[in-house]
Amino acid sequence: MARTKQVNAQNNGSQPSSSKSNGTGVEKARSPSPDASDRPLGPLSVTVPAYEREEVKVNNANLTELKNACDDAVKRFLSRPELFKQQYLHTDIRLALGWLSVFVAAGTAFYGYKVEFEQSKPVVTIGLVLYIILTTLSTLYAYFVEGDTIFVGKRKTFSKRIITERITLSSSSPPLPKNTSCPSYSVSLQYVRSTNGGKTLLGRGRTTGAAEYSRFFDEAGVMDQPGFEKWVGGLVESAMDGKAA
Amino acid sequence: MFTDELKAFRRLGFRHVLLQVLNFASVIASGLMIWKGLGIVTNSESPIVVVLSGSMEPAFYRGDLLFLTNPSSEQYKTGDITVYKIPGADIPIVHRVLETHDVPPKIDIRQYTKATKRSKSQPTSGKNSEHDNQLLLTKGDNNPIDDIELYRGLEWLEKKHIVGKVKGFLPYVGYVTIAMNDFPQLKYALLGGLGLLALIQRE
Repeated sequence: MARTKQVNAQNNGSQPSSSKSNGTGVEKARSPSPDASDRPLGPLSVTVPAYEREEVKVNNANLTELKNACDDAVKRFLSRPELFKQQYLHTDIRLALGWLSVFVAAGTAFYGYKVEFEQSKPVVTIGLVLYIILTTLSTLYAYFVEGDTIFVGKRKTFSKRIITERITLSSSSPPLPKNTSCPSYSVSLQYVRSTNGGKTLLGRGRTTGAAEYSRFFDEAGVMDQPGFEKWVGGLVESAMDGKAA
Repeated sequence: MFTDELKAFRRLGFRHVLLQVLNFASVIASGLMIWKGLGIVTNSESPIVVVLSGSMEPAFYRGDLLFLTNPSSEQYKTGDITVYKIPGADIPIVHRVLETHDVPPKIDIRQYTKATKRSKSQPTSGKNSEHDNQLLLTKGDNNPIDDIELYRGLEWLEKKHIVGKVKGFLPYVGYVTIAMNDFPQLKYALLGGLGLLALIQRE
C-alpha cells in the first residue's frame, strides 16, 4: 500500500518538468492507452479506515446472496469520495417504468371497481394494454440495455485540464469451470477517459477478471472486504492504465 | 428480527428501498391486471366465482371454483348453468336455465319482465343489438321450486342480468376464499406475509 502511494506521489509530483517529455514519449509509443503521468487517483490509493466497515455476512450456499454481496461491495468501494460517482440512469428508468405501470394498474382497477362493467370495458381495455406495454418495455430494457451492468460511475478531475472518466462494471456468476468445486465471480470493466467535454479521447481500457467466491468468503459466510477490494482495485487500476486483458 | 434488514436498507440507500417496494407493488398490480384482463377476455364481470350454497348439488358443492364466460353472441339454452345477479342483491346465484324465450330486438322487452304494471310500451331503449334478447327462468338442481322468489319482483331474467355461463370447475379450491371471507385475519396475514417476503427478497 505504502509503495503504491509513493509511486503515485512521484508521478503527480513530477508534473511540471520531466513528465512533459516523458508523457508525450509514452503517448506516442502506445497510443490508445492513457498517459501514465496524467492518471487520476486509482481506487487502491484511497484507503478506508477500518472502523468504518460493517461486517457483511451472507448465506454462503446461496449463489444470489454471494453475488449480491460482491456487487454491493463493488458499489461501496467505487463510490467513496475522491472516487467515482454512481450514475443511476438504469435504476431510474426501471423505477420510472415500474412505478408508472403500477399506477396505471391501480387506476384501471379502481375505475373498473367504481364504474359498472359494461360501461367500463373500453377504458379498462386501454389501461390493460398500457400496462402490458409498460411492463414489456421495462423487461426488455432490463434485459437488453442494462444486462449484467452493476455499476456505472463518472468522475471529473482537474489536473492540467478537466478530465472526465467513465467506468462501467458488469458482473456475473458463470457456471462452474471444470476443475474447481466453487463457483466464481466474474467481473468485466470498461473504462474511458476523455477531456474537452468528451471530444478528446485520452485513453480507454477494458479488463475482465474472475475469482472464486471461496477466496472472499469464509465458512461462516463472512466477507473478506479488504481482500475483495484489493482484487477489484487492481482490476480497476489496470483498466485505468489501459491494459486490455 | 428486522435489525439486519433495516441496517441493510440504510446502507443500500433510498433507491434500493424504492426498488424493493416496487417489487411488492408490481406483484399486486400484475394480479389485478390478470383479473381485469380475464374479465375483458371472457366478457364477464367476475370470471371466477366460488359456490356458496348447496343448491346445485350433486353437480356443484359448496367450495367449488367455477369458470365463467359471457360472449355477447351467446344464446342460452335450457340446461345451461348460469351465474346471474339480481339488481339490488349482493351475491350472484348459480342455477340452471329451465326455460328460455327469444325476443327479437325490435320488441321492447320490458313489457314482459315486470310482474306488476302492464303500462303502455315506451319507446325501445337504445340497445339495438343484432342478437335476440332472451327471457330466462332458472332453478337450482337441488331446490324444489324455480327461482321466481329470488327475482325480487322480476318475472324473467334478461341477458343483462347474467354474469356468465359455467364452462369449467375445480372442486374444493374455493374453500380458500370462503375461509378468507369468514376469517378476515387470514386474508391480512396472507397479504402481510407475501408483502414481507417481497420486500426482503432480492432477485
